[in-house]
Amino acid sequence: MTASLVLQVAIGGLLMGLVYALVAAGLSLIFGLMDVVNFAHGQLLMLAMYAVFEFHTLLGLDPLVQLPLVAALLFVLGVAIYRGLIARALAVRFNTGMVQIFVTFGLSIFLVGFAQLVFGTDFRSVNSGLLFGRTVAIGQIVLPLPQIAAGLVCLLAFAALMLIARTEFGRALEATREDRDAVALIGIDRNRIFSLGWGIGAATVGIAGVMLASFYYISPTVGDSFALIAYVTVALGGFGSLIGALIAGLLIGLTEAMTALVIDPSLKQIGVFMIYVLVLMVRPRGLFGRL
Amino acid sequence: MSGIKRRQILASAPLGLAGAALAGTALAPRNAAAAEKEVLIGCVYPLSGPAAQVGHDAQAALQVMADIVNGNHAIPMLMGKGGGIAGLGGAKIKLIFADSQNNPQIAQSETQRLITQQKVVAIVGSYTSATAVTISQVCNRYQVPYISAENSAPSLSEQGLTWFFRPSPTDNDFSQAMFDFLEAHAKETGKPIKSVAIIHENSVFGSDSARIQTGLAKKAGIKVAADISYQASTPSLQVEVERLRAANADVVLPSSYTSDAILMVRTMHDLGYKPKAILAQDAGFIDPTFLKAVGPLAEGVMSRSSFSIDAVKSRPAIPAVNAMYKAANGNKDLNDLTSREVTALQVLADALNRAKSTNNMALRTALRETDIPGDQTIMPWKGIKFDKTGQNIEGNPVIMQYQKGEWHTIFPVDVATATVEGSF
Repeated sequence: MTASLVLQVAIGGLLMGLVYALVAAGLSLIFGLMDVVNFAHGQLLMLAMYAVFEFHTLLGLDPLVQLPLVAALLFVLGVAIYRGLIARALAVRFNTGMVQIFVTFGLSIFLVGFAQLVFGTDFRSVNSGLLFGRTVAIGQIVLPLPQIAAGLVCLLAFAALMLIARTEFGRALEATREDRDAVALIGIDRNRIFSLGWGIGAATVGIAGVMLASFYYISPTVGDSFALIAYVTVALGGFGSLIGALIAGLLIGLTEAMTALVIDPSLKQIGVFMIYVLVLMVRPRGLFGRL
Repeated sequence: MSGIKRRQILASAPLGLAGAALAGTALAPRNAAAAEKEVLIGCVYPLSGPAAQVGHDAQAALQVMADIVNGNHAIPMLMGKGGGIAGLGGAKIKLIFADSQNNPQIAQSETQRLITQQKVVAIVGSYTSATAVTISQVCNRYQVPYISAENSAPSLSEQGLTWFFRPSPTDNDFSQAMFDFLEAHAKETGKPIKSVAIIHENSVFGSDSARIQTGLAKKAGIKVAADISYQASTPSLQVEVERLRAANADVVLPSSYTSDAILMVRTMHDLGYKPKAILAQDAGFIDPTFLKAVGPLAEGVMSRSSFSIDAVKSRPAIPAVNAMYKAANGNKDLNDLTSREVTALQVLADALNRAKSTNNMALRTALRETDIPGDQTIMPWKGIKFDKTGQNIEGNPVIMQYQKGEWHTIFPVDVATATVEGSF
């Protein structure tokens, strides 16, 4: 095992970790805001990837160019999901937790079925574009350009999310998170904050989807494996913490790659879940959790 | 089939037709009933659940073969002349389908129902080897032949059953063919294959395949430079590909399903790694959606297969059979599975024809005497001839290569339609 191989694998793992982190960020945001675990999060990722594929085939738009378009679409979808389903689920007076779980879980099943019906069950992929198939060689280390771009865009998206947290709206988010009933007294519209939270959460996973679509296959169930990692990322980083999601995503990407290299590729998830169990034992609220 | 036999059948056909015509004019009503004579054949396939698509494709394929035997399509293959089964007075094949739901227990009870209530003369099935285990055992108990169309687990023909017949090669044969090909290729180029890298998904399919390949490599004196297992649902195959690159083997042997095959080929490309040769164990690599998803990246990929649709020169029946299947099943081409289903029913029809009876003992004797040359089928095999266990001993698989956007057969040489490309 040479040093360049280790470095190559480590950088690859970190780049993948940035994608994991951004997928988890949206989940973490929504959970932190209103204590709702979105079980349809992986399906939002899948819809974003199909959007990229369809715009690419029908209009010939490059995945990168589609970034604002798909993010906006997912924003609207997020708001619609909140208004149409989540707000109603939150209004239920009994078994609220169960109702929320079933609503988002049901939505995930519906979205997979919807994708199978509309897009078919075949595997798709975007096979051209500005980034497609390009690699960057630094010495002996070869890195795929689509993944470098994905890592950069994910970092930018994180920076944007952290800036949002410092604005007036960000403070309103924070206040609503602290006490959703009290904010009404100082004139904050809880419903509006929640819908925007869902919109932003969906838009971030949309951005992750666009970047993934330029180097990953697309199928109705593509969200599953990413969603599983996203739940672990959120729990590892601490529920509701953005910086936690970022650090945890990077940690998971790196652990996964290193386990695969040093131990065995089929055991790579074991490395990830072992770290997770360790953190739960030592620090149950996650690395950066405040709950 | 010997020349004499073929002549006999050819000679009997016009006589039979003339006889039927004569009788038809004299005794129309009674003879109409006689001409309706049917041979019932049970087919057990998953028609609901996740594997339903395979079952429905099988239904279409088997029906096409039944139509060939019953109708008047004059296909250039054994039993392709039409007009029913001559040996049974022109009796027509009638298929009765049962849904196994891909569940061994249900397959067992459905087989029992077909035999005891529908009185079928034989059973054809069943896609997965797990269902074939129970079906073959029920058939053995009731002494009804089971024609295993596409079950590939080697253990099926090692159960000591005397009513089990399998025209298809097994997983052992498939891997053996890959190493035969490597050996023949090395001999031709004068460059011996020194090492292989095995990469496989870690469920039964991939692990079994890797185990067999490791054994064969050892036997052939080829070094296994890497043996990498991974989970088919993994979100990334970068490290796996890096390990392949580090192993730098002469040939990469992947056993993968569709999504991971796509991810593997794309990751290789993205990381700038081009293996000297990829020789795949069918499955994901031969799935049409794999080709659609990776496009030109699949160029040069080789895979084993049991069917080669382009071998029309040596297998003249393929275009006509394929056209019938396409018309019957949403414009799909025959594939690895459906071609073997067509052939399974062909074997059974031929045996019924020679048995001249639907009696189970006579039918089994005829099945045991089966000797069909490869060019009388649509398969690239040498032929169909069963050993004592009911396993076809002449069913050699083929190796295909993806060249300029199409699969071409490259091995064995007598059915090949293209030469090997690449330098390994």
